[in-house]
Amino acid sequence: MIWQVRCKQFLLLTSFCLLNACGQRFEAPGIGDQQDPALSGNGRLLVTVAERSGRRAVRLVERSTGNELPLKGLNWGMPHRSPSLSWNGRYLAFILQRGERSEIVVFDRALARLRPLPLPGERSPQALTISPDGKRLGVQLLHRGQLDVELFNLPSHEPDLPPGAPLQ
Amino acid sequence: MSKKAFLYCLFSFLLLGGCEGQGLQPELGLNPRISQSGDDSSPSLAATGMAWIAPGSAQVRWLDFSTGFGSPLPGLNRSDAQPISVSVDRAGKRFALVRSLAGRTELLIYERNLALLRPIGLVPAGVPAKVAISGDGRVLAVQVSRGGRWQVELLDLP
Repeated sequence: MIWQVRCKQFLLLTSFCLLNACGQRFEAPGIGDQQDPALSGNGRLLVTVAERSGRRAVRLVERSTGNELPLKGLNWGMPHRSPSLSWNGRYLAFILQRGERSEIVVFDRALARLRPLPLPGERSPQALTISPDGKRLGVQLLHRGQLDVELFNLPSHEPDLPPGAPLQ
Repeated sequence: MSKKAFLYCLFSFLLLGGCEGQGLQPELGLNPRISQSGDDSSPSLAATGMAWIAPGSAQVRWLDFSTGFGSPLPGLNRSDAQPISVSVDRAGKRFALVRSLAGRTELLIYERNLALLRPIGLVPAGVPAKVAISGDGRVLAVQVSRGGRWQVELLDLP
């Protein structure tokens, strides 16, 4: 048992020593700085916040082809930040800036529907993460000058599971 | 349709309608286990738990959903390092981390089962700021500063 763990450690060490990462980048004409990356669970999709014409908006790219995928139904007039994807990329959660107010929204790519999720109280979302199955959110919230992380359930979401994963 | 069946259908319809209207529901059982005085940051959800950067000694923490309690992350945190960004795979076994140590910002991978922490070099060199790992733990997306510009880079992991 111990030698198996040691063997795995050795293999990982060797692999990491070889990993001086030479990365893959997705640039495009008209795209400025890219920030806030997130990946779908299977790593097929990459979402970033890209600057286009001075506006910060989410950009969804398929890794294998480098093609940008359309996101019809999103509100492009307001700045976006902190995107997060579920396992297959069905759900794209991010923070939308409406003037002075920030709000959490989840875009269901299967239904092309944008769903605002208001927070109770005077709390402002700063960053978020969606669970692989899309049924839970972890949100960094600003409230009275303090930043807290809180968990929320999304009971009405159909789960976005990896192939073969059991329903819980 | 009998009266009983009709009532059952009506009840199901109302129940479904109610679910559709449900927005964010706070996890009242887990949230008190996370909040501490100070600023929490960088939440990252796995299927089995959540990683985040906790205030105070600024450490990466792990909350296990099955137990409702935190679990230790041996070999990951250092008192002289400042974590900046953390991300975890679906199983909660592989973590990606950006941290500041001795004036340098570094990118690391942590294997929880093996308590193994390894740095990852960027070529060409750049300053990492934010990291995301795919749910299967095989791909990293890193926000890197190079020449005054923010770029996002993808790295395949062994």
